[in-house]
Amino acid sequence: MMNYKNKDLEELNKKIKNIDDQKNNSNRKKKESGAGFGFKISTEIIAALVVGVGIGLIVDNYFNTKPFGLIIFFIFGALAGFLNVYRVMRRIEKQR
Amino acid sequence: MAAKDSPLKQFEIDTISNIEIGNYNLSFTNSSFAMLLTVLIITLFLTLTVNTRSIIPTRMQLISELMYNFIAQLLNDTVGDNGKKYFPFVFSLFMFVLIGNMVGMIPYQFTFTSHIIVTFALAAVVFIGVTILGFINHGIKFFSLFVIPGVPFYMHPLLIPIEVISYLSRPISLSVRLFANMLAGHTLLKVFAGFVVSMPFFTGVFPLAFIVALTGLEILIAFLQAYVFAILTCLYINDAYHLH
Repeated sequence: MMNYKNKDLEELNKKIKNIDDQKNNSNRKKKESGAGFGFKISTEIIAALVVGVGIGLIVDNYFNTKPFGLIIFFIFGALAGFLNVYRVMRRIEKQR
Repeated sequence: MAAKDSPLKQFEIDTISNIEIGNYNLSFTNSSFAMLLTVLIITLFLTLTVNTRSIIPTRMQLISELMYNFIAQLLNDTVGDNGKKYFPFVFSLFMFVLIGNMVGMIPYQFTFTSHIIVTFALAAVVFIGVTILGFINHGIKFFSLFVIPGVPFYMHPLLIPIEVISYLSRPISLSVRLFANMLAGHTLLKVFAGFVVSMPFFTGVFPLAFIVALTGLEILIAFLQAYVFAILTCLYINDAYHLH
């Protein structure tokens, strides 16, 4: 009698597990579109470049170092953009 | 080139009633009208649907509860227990962006999230708030956010400016993402709508079918961008609590 009951429970357990697995799989398969992904990456780079160029122009205005502040902070901005992209990619990798 | 039939005409600001205080132009425009409508819809929807307070929710009550749970879950997952305090802020931000995008999907209705100044103001509120929060939690130690641990000391002059720029670029990337998505989507819709009239014979049916599909996609993007805005706000709040 006990055995029979346990068997029933086990079957039910299996069924629930199957449904859970299916749910997880379907969630995992939900991928972003390529355009959305590209958008995310490009905004990160552009935003960092905008900030870098902005700081460069302000520095040039204050210290009268005309091209050099812009050049240096443009490079810093580009590097920060790549850092942002790296962080976004790491976050996406973690979610998988 | 703001011709009468330009696909960019939909983004023009029209003054409804002219209000000028001092040198500032504080007119009530179609953008303000859309925002007012959004706030009205949110307030009415959330108050009226949960008014019944039944244990077994009605459909409308279920939608409100789903939205509530969605953001509560998001905050709990990303920030943890500390996040509960910020629920009202994140929830209102999420609802404002979401319903704002949805109001924009109504034909002839203005989309206020397609203006960068609106999204930048929202992102700036998040950015300044999170920075102040970081200083309250960590004091002067908050600056150690910019110092990567385990890096040789002679690399710091190079890495700290990069980290600072990366931090300052947050509000810009946050606002540009929402603004550009809405702008691009709505322009695309109008461009294809132009094809419907200009194509010969019955071939206008094809762009029309495409618009129907695109409208569905736009509604998805409207939701997705509100979600992205909310989740990034949560991540930034989390950063203010846990440095590195």
